[in-house]
Amino acid sequence: MTHWIANLATSRPRTIYLFVALLTLGLGLQIPSIRIDTDPENMLPQDQPDRAFHNETKKKFGLADAIVVGAVNDDDPEGIYNVRSLAAIHRVSQEILKIDGVVRHDLMSLSVVDNVSQDGAGAISFEWLMHEAPQTGKQALAIREAVERLPLLMNTLVSGDGKAAAIYVPIVRKDQSYRISREIEQIIARSLAGSGATDSYHITGLPVAEDTFGHEMFVQMGISAPLAGLAIFLLMWFFFRNAALVVAPMIVAMATVISAMGLMIGMGFTVHIMSSMIPIFLMPIAVVDSVHILSEFADTFQEGDDVGVAIRRVVRRLFRPMLFTSVTSTVGFLSLAITPIPPVQVFGIFVGFGIMLAFLLTIVFVPAYIVRMSPAQLRALQKSHRGQGKPGMLSRLLPPLGRFSTANAVKLMVAFAVVFGLSILGLSRIQINDNPVNWFKSDHRIRVADAALNRHFAGTYDAFLVLRQHGQDAYQQFSGQAEKILARARLAGVDLDAIGWDAAARTGLDDPGEQLDAMVTGLDDALFDAGDAEIPYLEDLLASAEAAQSQAKYFQQPEAVRLLETLQRVLADSAHVGKTNALPDLLKTVNRELLGGMAADFAIPVTTAGIAQTLLVYQSSHRPRDLWHMVTPDYRSAVIWLQLRSGDNQDMSEVMARLDAYLADHPLPAGLSSRWAGKTYINVVWQDAMVAGMAKSLLGAFVVVLIMMIVLFRSFLYGVLAMLPLTITITLIYGLIGWIGKDYDMPIAVLSALTLGLSVDFAIHFLERARAIHHETGSFASTMKQMFKEPARAITRNTVVVAIGFTPLLFAPLLPYVTVGAFLAGIMAVSAIVTLILLPAMLSILRGRLLPETQGFVSASESHTGG
Amino acid sequence: MQAGLVASLALALLGVPVFSLAADLTDAAEIIQRANLAAYYAGDDGRSDARMRIRDGQGREQLRQFTILRRDREDGGDQDFMVFFSRPADVRGMVFQVAKHIDGDDDRWLYLPGLDLVKRISAGDKRTSFVGSHFFYEDISGRNPNDDHHVLTGSDAQSYVLENTPKNPATVEFKSYTVWVDKQTFLPMKIEYINEIGEIYRRMEVLEVKSIQGYPTAIRSKMNDLQGGGHTLLEFRYTRFDLGLPQEVFSERSLRNPPRQWLKRPSG
Repeated sequence: MTHWIANLATSRPRTIYLFVALLTLGLGLQIPSIRIDTDPENMLPQDQPDRAFHNETKKKFGLADAIVVGAVNDDDPEGIYNVRSLAAIHRVSQEILKIDGVVRHDLMSLSVVDNVSQDGAGAISFEWLMHEAPQTGKQALAIREAVERLPLLMNTLVSGDGKAAAIYVPIVRKDQSYRISREIEQIIARSLAGSGATDSYHITGLPVAEDTFGHEMFVQMGISAPLAGLAIFLLMWFFFRNAALVVAPMIVAMATVISAMGLMIGMGFTVHIMSSMIPIFLMPIAVVDSVHILSEFADTFQEGDDVGVAIRRVVRRLFRPMLFTSVTSTVGFLSLAITPIPPVQVFGIFVGFGIMLAFLLTIVFVPAYIVRMSPAQLRALQKSHRGQGKPGMLSRLLPPLGRFSTANAVKLMVAFAVVFGLSILGLSRIQINDNPVNWFKSDHRIRVADAALNRHFAGTYDAFLVLRQHGQDAYQQFSGQAEKILARARLAGVDLDAIGWDAAARTGLDDPGEQLDAMVTGLDDALFDAGDAEIPYLEDLLASAEAAQSQAKYFQQPEAVRLLETLQRVLADSAHVGKTNALPDLLKTVNRELLGGMAADFAIPVTTAGIAQTLLVYQSSHRPRDLWHMVTPDYRSAVIWLQLRSGDNQDMSEVMARLDAYLADHPLPAGLSSRWAGKTYINVVWQDAMVAGMAKSLLGAFVVVLIMMIVLFRSFLYGVLAMLPLTITITLIYGLIGWIGKDYDMPIAVLSALTLGLSVDFAIHFLERARAIHHETGSFASTMKQMFKEPARAITRNTVVVAIGFTPLLFAPLLPYVTVGAFLAGIMAVSAIVTLILLPAMLSILRGRLLPETQGFVSASESHTGG
Repeated sequence: MQAGLVASLALALLGVPVFSLAADLTDAAEIIQRANLAAYYAGDDGRSDARMRIRDGQGREQLRQFTILRRDREDGGDQDFMVFFSRPADVRGMVFQVAKHIDGDDDRWLYLPGLDLVKRISAGDKRTSFVGSHFFYEDISGRNPNDDHHVLTGSDAQSYVLENTPKNPATVEFKSYTVWVDKQTFLPMKIEYINEIGEIYRRMEVLEVKSIQGYPTAIRSKMNDLQGGGHTLLEFRYTRFDLGLPQEVFSERSLRNPPRQWLKRPSG
């Protein structure tokens, strides 16, 4: 097959050119239909149970994604409670309400919320808290006084220290948040200009973060990836000093990147943070194979040779190792497909596709390109290549390294064993943690806003604890009673069915609550038309239906509300929880104002009727709907909104563990269940899925690559040896992460599987070449001597190409990219070093079995220099 | 409160031929005045059972059931209301008492049996929700016609169209509202509320009118929340006018001791 491919490439170079051009153009045309996806939620599949529940919770409780606008005043002694600051907040809020795409009725700001209080004459009053901006300092301070009496606003709309105020701007669609936040910025600038207010305004909130993230992703793809291309080009030019030659690998790299991205976009996949890194991963990997062909060709081609014959020979010789390194890298990336994280799967699959495409393009395009080079160019190539005769830095440094490795084999093995042991110890210290806000650099305006607002407020990270009553006792009890009443009626000769009192309930309502409601209405109507005989029975039925109805409204019962209050207290004990908001806060506030406003009356009403009536009073305010953010209208689900000071997964996990511990000792009543929702929780879920998934994919890839190695070398021992450098590298890198205390986060997790695919390449090349050379020389010593000439140089060179190729990521605006860049460079370096030190040492120890001295072979030919 | 008046009856008593109504009115103030009487002052007093189905944007429903007693002190002038809640069962016995004053703030009280508490409600804002429905307190008791400027902007075969702007914009959430007044009954059949940015965010529609004791009465109407997507359906049943309700019924005593005799559904 190799023969056929090489023949085709060299005999029909124009066809190959056309094929590459059409492929690149065809797939590249898909790129303009790119759709960016920045929602961290998409780290989980759409139908993942936690995600589905999170979205169901958002819908059920009307919890729209919100942009958070914060105003901070550090100058005024009264903080934000001064006429100018409040006027500015008022003006900004009113203007925001005019923006298209804002959920107007759910906007939260001092100017649109209610104050429940006592008016002078002992009456309860629901008034807008700040319907008009205050005119005097006294009015401003009255607002402070009011806010401090309203636990649901305190530390949510105004900070506890009074220095900051917030406006929550719920938006209809997340993808509008960039435009809306821009409009808000303009509103703020307009409102502050000439107002005399000195407040500093911040805009944050997840929708803004996501949109900004999308923008910076484009920056990364538009700047970092081309920069990587440029860096690789310059580096290769430095190695080969021949522009015409270097163009070929660059074309391969470009065609690969464009085709892989085009295919991905064309197949309808969105570009997520992971897939936005595909270009920068493919570029260096795609170049590496071409470098092998070019080196080999430049080495072996003699003036006057037939170019076609020469290149065909090169392709035949390199086909197998190139195929294997490509396949192992592909396996490493494809193993990501078994993680349960869709963006990671897409990333793995399309990088895998790209690597195989790069391999294919390399073996067809590069030969076609070389065949079409003019004799003058070929001469220049040879000249520049051979001209490098004087020993470079690598030529000076590598041979001593080889001598050192083989001479100190046992010591080195012990040293590596110690390093390995320490790494394992480090692994056990790894801190699994992530926080998407920390994906921005610490001086980014989102991080600045986040820090400022969390300093003042109880916390801007949301989590929701949802409690749901599943019990059907009330309905079953009613059914039983109804049976008895109907039986009694029949006994007395009264046929209630003829009246059709439960017709409404028979119309196919699934929900028992709705059935009861319909039945109560039906009974009420029937009662009006009923005769004297039926009335007592209908009244009995109505009474027990209403009792069941009341009992079914679980969160109107005092013990249920007190349970919510207890859970709030348990959660608020955590240092990470700034504040919790739930139904008890609302009830206690309204109850206090009903009873006269004294602090002693800040309590939950003691009867179900008391609670129901207090809530009805609350619903006579300007914003009755706000109640449904805390409890559903059937009173069977309630939510506790937690404001967390940190979005760290670890901190959220601590809060979850705290609740679990409490519930272990104090189980929830029968029928009641609790479950988490909220972005901060979702992040924990996908991170857990990622950690478990990565372990599986790493293990899977390891086994597959090991088997491949055993097959490739047709030797179990060689196979194991080939896995050694990458094993050491992975444990060392991750052990180091454990030791230095860097959080194991999304980018770090993803790197494990790639490391495997990339660093096994070196071992393959090293062992394959060592074997081949030993086959010729029959001597371990001279094999090693040769190994540390051209082969070691090629490995080092490739390391440098790949490592440098990733360095533009270090200048990316988002930290995950920086992490990936730094770690990949580190991984490449470590695995190259481990390969060049450990493998010769191990070969030296095992030489009796692996590279035995054989007599009768001529000693080494040292013709293969350069490369 | 619930709709219904008079026009034909009153005019008939004055000896004015009913068909003269066909002649269009051109004075906005007069139309509004008649609409106010038709909608809120039918008879000298009245009683009605009311049922509210409050449906939110997600289609979740809540029910409120109550009985309203009304007595006019003067046609187009002060009135007394009592609202006795019967459903849901947990709020049964709650009573809302209103003394509506044309030339001053209304007096409002609330009795909460669950807390055994009679509480006065601050005069202030009347544009708060009526017990969690999409109707405002002011929609139920009637907005004072003197609070707005009225302009007749058009008319068709059925209705007069008036645009109304508040005299004191700071006290309301709307910029203006448009009302369609039926030419025959003078009942406001549709009202659309428009906000600062010119959007219709709230719409009241009368769905069914029935003549009760000669008074055209809106017995089914609907308030739509065009922002949140919900609505409240308000139905009146067992409506009677001119019962001769005594003034003592509208007293604090009735809060704890409901006047059963008047709350009972009239038969037939």
